[in-house]
Amino acid sequence: MRMLQFMCLAAVGVLAGCSDQDVAQTTTSDATTDPATSYVVDSEPAGAIPVGEAREAVEDEQAVTLVGTIGGSAEPFVDGLAAFTIVDPKVPYCAEEEGCPTPWDYCCTQDQVKDNIATVKIVDDSGNPVASGARELLGVKELSTVVVDGKAERDEQGNLTVAATQVYVRPSE
Amino acid sequence: MLLPWEYGVRNLMRRPLRTTLTLSALATVVILVFVVVGFIRGLERSLAISGDEDVVLVYSVNSEENIENSSIAARTAALLSASLQGTWKRFGVTHLSPELYLGTRVRTGDDGGGLGLVRGVTRVAPLVRRDVRIVEGRWPQSGEVMVGKLASAKLGATDEALAIGQTVHFEGESWRVSGRFSAGGGAYESEIWCNLADFQTATQRQDLSLVALLLAPGAAASEVSLFCKQRTDLELRAISETAYYATLQQHYKPVRVLAWFVVVLVSAAGVFAGLNMMYGAVAGRIRELATLQAIGYRRRAILISLIQEGMLLAAAASLLAGAIALTTLNGVAVRFTMGAFTLRIDSVAILVGCGVGILLGVLGAMPPALKALRQSVAISLKAV
Repeated sequence: MRMLQFMCLAAVGVLAGCSDQDVAQTTTSDATTDPATSYVVDSEPAGAIPVGEAREAVEDEQAVTLVGTIGGSAEPFVDGLAAFTIVDPKVPYCAEEEGCPTPWDYCCTQDQVKDNIATVKIVDDSGNPVASGARELLGVKELSTVVVDGKAERDEQGNLTVAATQVYVRPSE
Repeated sequence: MLLPWEYGVRNLMRRPLRTTLTLSALATVVILVFVVVGFIRGLERSLAISGDEDVVLVYSVNSEENIENSSIAARTAALLSASLQGTWKRFGVTHLSPELYLGTRVRTGDDGGGLGLVRGVTRVAPLVRRDVRIVEGRWPQSGEVMVGKLASAKLGATDEALAIGQTVHFEGESWRVSGRFSAGGGAYESEIWCNLADFQTATQRQDLSLVALLLAPGAAASEVSLFCKQRTDLELRAISETAYYATLQQHYKPVRVLAWFVVVLVSAAGVFAGLNMMYGAVAGRIRELATLQAIGYRRRAILISLIQEGMLLAAAASLLAGAIALTTLNGVAVRFTMGAFTLRIDSVAILVGCGVGILLGVLGAMPPALKALRQSVAISLKAV
């Protein structure tokens, strides 16, 4: 009898699993085909400075426009929040022909990443991080080059975070 | 018209020695299947229940997936406590556990021992690791340790060597066992816990391996992840405990695949052994089968009767193997790289084991029976 219950549960599980997958695929598909949200702008904001320069010049609470490449670690995106890290475009990463599976972690140039990395969090009108993954919200992925416009947050350790309200995604070359 | 049910049953009784030998061979094959499936199920369960979805682990981004290699600044715990809003707090205590965790050589009093997993913790640890229960003795004071239920299996030592009051030696210090704990079958059960400050002194380390924190209801792990991303100078990463053990599941996937492959191989070997035995059994009964055809039984009816015999034998062997597995194998501790876990003869293991057993009976009986029935009745009646 317990065996029968187990088999029935397994069958229900398989069916439920299939339907969940369908829903997830549909959602992802919709989001990726329509990334144009209120946070994404069509034209590149002027006067963007690279991350390395910003880390030296920008002060806390200062308005800033930053350009960078999404990466810096094996998982540059924050799950469940529209936040990610960007690296100065001048820092090289592994070329495609080198066969590195995760070139966005800058494994060969980690010593340069330390002083050329910033965190970007997309914030809503009240200043809170948007509770949605950046991939779906902005239609970006690892190594996408983005120009973000927002307010800088600095700490005593020199870390730079940009509370961004606008993001421009540069078309891939 | 089918042969009477009793015919097949009595046939098994007619040759007790052959029946007993076949039963033993089938039962051995099914026990082997139980051992392998019990191993897989035990490993899967240990990893599956080790994580708490409300617990987030913060450790070094440079340690890949291995917390034992992680080293983070001791001030990380205080920083997290001050910076995060979503950590569970009760009666003024923040549920945030700084821990130093490493694998080290542990020697027991009887000169036994081996590579053990030691975790230096504070008194907050049980508030975060909610499955941990002290089942004997008390919380360790300075110079004392508390051992998990499977720590002796991990060390390859006897339970007596880790009994309360015994002494274990690691990192150049002697530690008295003050208590034993369980963790609901989770990975901690193979660990040894001691006071964090004592362990830092013994290892001459001032850093931590990780900070485990319990999220408040409604809080999300993403807040912790965002903190780690923003504090790039600390080189931290955050991962929910369930996700961490899920990655370990992935890590051990080749082992699981290999184990299932062994199940298939053992089953195949059993089928061939069964075929061999049934060929022998049916070969000696060719005249009997021809006689049954001569008195009017159809080939299909005789085939069904032979399959019935094979299935009866296989079902009896499966029951016997199941009884042996449940009484002697279930719960046996197995030492493994990540700690220790117990063989688990659960419903899935029973289903797979008995399924393989019954399959052996059917597949073992069919080919020799078909071969015997294919011959003409006249020739078969003259068979020696």
